[in-house]
Amino acid sequence: MRLRLLAAAAAFSLALAGCGSASEPGTSGQTGTTTLTVWFMRDSLSDAIVKRFTDDFQRSHPGITLNVQSQEWDGIGQKVISALASKDAPDVIEVGNTQVAEYAASGGVRDLTGKVADLGGADWLPGLAEPGKIDGRQYGIPWYAANRVVVYNKDLFAKAGVTSPPKTRDEWIDVTTRLNKGGVQGIYLPGQNWYTLAGFVWDEGGDLAVEEGGQWKGALDTPQALAGMAFYERLQALGKGPRDSDEARPPQADVFGKGDVAQIISAPGGAVAIEKANPDLKGKLGFFPIPGKTADRPGAVFTGGSDLIIPEASAHPDEAYEVVKALAGEKFQLDMAKEMSYVPNRTSYAGVLSGDEATAAMAAGAAVGHATPNSPNWAAVEARNVIKEYMTKVLTGGDAATAAKEASGVITTILNTRS
Amino acid sequence: MARALARTARPALVVEARTRRKGAFWPYLLVAPALAAFACLLVYPLARSVVISFQHFRLGELIRGGAAFAGLANYAEALGGPEFWAVVRRTFLWTAANVVLIMVIATAVALMLPHLGRRMRLAVMSGMVLTWATPVLAATTIFQWLFQSRLGVVNWVLVRLGFDSFRDYTWFADGRATFAILVALVVWQSVPFAALTLYAGLTTIPGELYEAARIDGAGPWQVFGRVTFPILRPLFGLITSLEVIWVLTCFAQIWAISKGGPGGATATLPVYAFQIAQSLHRYDLGSAVSTLTVLMLLAVLVVHLRRMFREEGA
Repeated sequence: MRLRLLAAAAAFSLALAGCGSASEPGTSGQTGTTTLTVWFMRDSLSDAIVKRFTDDFQRSHPGITLNVQSQEWDGIGQKVISALASKDAPDVIEVGNTQVAEYAASGGVRDLTGKVADLGGADWLPGLAEPGKIDGRQYGIPWYAANRVVVYNKDLFAKAGVTSPPKTRDEWIDVTTRLNKGGVQGIYLPGQNWYTLAGFVWDEGGDLAVEEGGQWKGALDTPQALAGMAFYERLQALGKGPRDSDEARPPQADVFGKGDVAQIISAPGGAVAIEKANPDLKGKLGFFPIPGKTADRPGAVFTGGSDLIIPEASAHPDEAYEVVKALAGEKFQLDMAKEMSYVPNRTSYAGVLSGDEATAAMAAGAAVGHATPNSPNWAAVEARNVIKEYMTKVLTGGDAATAAKEASGVITTILNTRS
Repeated sequence: MARALARTARPALVVEARTRRKGAFWPYLLVAPALAAFACLLVYPLARSVVISFQHFRLGELIRGGAAFAGLANYAEALGGPEFWAVVRRTFLWTAANVVLIMVIATAVALMLPHLGRRMRLAVMSGMVLTWATPVLAATTIFQWLFQSRLGVVNWVLVRLGFDSFRDYTWFADGRATFAILVALVVWQSVPFAALTLYAGLTTIPGELYEAARIDGAGPWQVFGRVTFPILRPLFGLITSLEVIWVLTCFAQIWAISKGGPGGATATLPVYAFQIAQSLHRYDLGSAVSTLTVLMLLAVLVVHLRRMFREEGA
């Protein structure tokens, strides 16, 4: 009822306004004070570090006020696109590295190619820099990365007599089989954790999709990719992870928190959520890089992370660039890496991470980090759940080659849709 | 939205007719907000969508503006591909399965209600009102939990009953199973409205008619076929039309449970149009599919509505 009243009221006010949307005056102040709106993703930074940054930035840039807003991941694609299409867009936006290509290709993002040298772009992490680059122009500025590691329960490892973390895939399967006894799950790996599958595929020398002469082709049906899927299936069977769900449903940190799961694959930041779910596990969590095929090379991982963009519609692009420069600069990067256990945006900053088990495991993997196929349409592949459905089909007894062929066909179609 | 419109459309017309006779100014003023809202919230988006369907309108045009006229290219692309026709067939199957089940179950429930004792009738009606009052997404989430592979209560019950193959059975990985679950969900949500409306209609039929029919030796099927159905025919027609509209345009349940998957097995026209527009950013092609959906819905309903109005007029 209240809803209907609200609707009626809204309709009435709309009628009064005559369908018109009054253009809001910009927030730029009268005498020299400029307010910049900055969008960060929820939980990507702690409140403390945001405050430190804001205070510091405003002190060194008198006349600029920062209005930092935090956004939810759910539905962010549509929200950012609406913002880029609007006339009062935020001035700086944090965007996920698998989505940045889509925004960059839309023409609504400022081209920052001329600033790469100024930002020290020579040793940016490729997993962040490449997705932000379209046709040789840099739109997204690398900000931070975090990749997946194996988080394990030290108590359960000790009980099973495992003294050192596995270094190769064979050892990993062996150890996990030994752990997977009684009421304990060797590993909790949901069937649709496709970032993990991507890592196994890259290890075999395959890819999710390849570009040849301007045409994309889904590559899940190559022998390499099928070998990656076969390994995923072997590993997944050593626990009770649901075959038709991903790591968010149910939240795997909660499952791990119950205490009967020996390992999960997660970003080190996930440890915070586990300790929140079960404070008894504090101090009992260990980390190691995802094992590769041989001991001298850790498993390939998907480099997750974020880039920064300045919308074309920003009213204060120069000031916005100052914010980006500060966020991508050494001082903030080192502070953030320590506070948030992230990999900083330049390899030359990586030294700051040594000494911490979680971040050291992550940094080892980051050295062999990969990105998702660099196409503006990749976000559509994710949105259509193509890979997730493929994985469930294989894990529930479907023929892998047929399913892979089908999924690759869909990926090919989506990636070759011209915008 | 559709429900509210269906309810208000008629009084608005009546008011308009009367005003013309008296030449008063007030009634116009009173309907003006409703009409303005209708124009802003329905006519404008509809017209805009039709315009976009004739343009080259993708992510770039959305952000930079300046969409070029594309003629019938989008329609040709939609109608020319096999995928669209597969979706159309699926949409008709979806609509037919749902509407038939809804009407049969609702009629059975409505006919059963008068024969129940007072307490039982109250219980059944309360149950239906509660079902109807459950928010769509809440009900959808509950269905997702029911059929969850590892922790879902459906698999638990089936295994308990001895069907061991349902241990950890992944319902939502199978296209047909997902389709069936969605039909069950939509039917469950739609039956109360149809059943309660039919029951209300039933109570208006004078008891003497039934008595007379029974004295003449009519069995239950004949009573229904010769007395109940003919009297309630306009009501049946109206409810069927409304259910066709609601089921064919049903979106929230499908999107929340399967997003049209797995493998497109539950992509009906509205879901398909949204997939194209929102994930591929082909706003032009998505609008063309939407426009075609509206045209198809009209084609299905016009035949039906015309017959209904003619009968009512006679």
